[in-house]
Amino acid sequence: MHEYSLAHALLDGLTDHLREHPVAGRITAVHVRKGELLILSEEALAEAWRILTAGTPLAGSALRLEKVPVKVRCGSCGYEGPVKYAGEGWHFAVPILACPRCEGRAEVIEGRELAIIGLSVDEVTG
Amino acid sequence: MGTRFRALLPGGYHRARMHDIRVGTEDVFKRQLELAARNYELLQRRNVRAFNVMGAIGSGKTLLILRMAERLRERGLRVGAIAGDVAGDDDYQRFASAGLVAANLNTGDACHLDAHRVGHTLEEFPLGEVDVLFIENVGNLVCPADFPLGTEGDLVVISVTEGDDMVRKHPKIFAQTDVLAVNKVDLAAFVGVDPMVLVDDYRTLNPHGKVVLTDARSGRGVEELLAALGL
Repeated sequence: MHEYSLAHALLDGLTDHLREHPVAGRITAVHVRKGELLILSEEALAEAWRILTAGTPLAGSALRLEKVPVKVRCGSCGYEGPVKYAGEGWHFAVPILACPRCEGRAEVIEGRELAIIGLSVDEVTG
Repeated sequence: MGTRFRALLPGGYHRARMHDIRVGTEDVFKRQLELAARNYELLQRRNVRAFNVMGAIGSGKTLLILRMAERLRERGLRVGAIAGDVAGDDDYQRFASAGLVAANLNTGDACHLDAHRVGHTLEEFPLGEVDVLFIENVGNLVCPADFPLGTEGDLVVISVTEGDDMVRKHPKIFAQTDVLAVNKVDLAAFVGVDPMVLVDDYRTLNPHGKVVLTDARSGRGVEELLAALGL
């Protein structure tokens, strides 16, 4: 639901970053880590990116999303890692936020992030 | 036009080279989490136990809050409510006329509350006059899941009249919310819904979650719901 404002926040962050660390060449792709728990349409985010970057040096760059699966830390047995998913009968795989080992209460340590992690640059040199 | 192709274009002795750069911009949710943490600290410092009440439009969030407030006030606790809505002050008026310390929080166009807006409301709210504060989110089962407010606990309310597939249709909010109220259970037979389908789906997604069947109109389940919230 918030693809436009989130794309805006990503673009703001990247613009600030590029002001301090300019890159030579054209940025063709922006790589983003996207936590699996976020309720976010990838298509809508890409479209928002296209609209927001038009007329900027980032125009034409693709937003490449790397999905970050949920990781939890169990308060009971100390397990740290991926979770089980509700499978059969569910339209999408849905992470079950409990410890997959002892079924204890677990804290989410990954799966809610949204941040830029890299750029692909097409560097043209003479 | 691909990078390789352009490198072969005539007239250019250009050499195109693709490379990847690692950058680390700030997580866009970091600010939200910081603001939520700030709200949490403020509420703790002022000894206010706050709850984020989410749920579908018309699921009965406001009446459930009023019923919980009645029970809490019978125990001598002071109760406040923040009415989050896109527009209007209808819920605020209901809270205020029931004698709750209340504030209205119109989001304008936003479909959810966020820690920033709630933080501003808390700055103005007479926190010294309440022991328990219910923050009623905008009716929506999608967006509030991504925006923590800094409350001690979260509650999601759905009613049987929305259908027994509600949990399956909005799995992420249920997977992340510790207490579920299945409201209007008195109407289940009339709308041909088995509340246990909702309960079972929720338990599958959230093995540690607590689920309570309620009927806010008659007050059924309200004490159990308070207990589930640790009140």
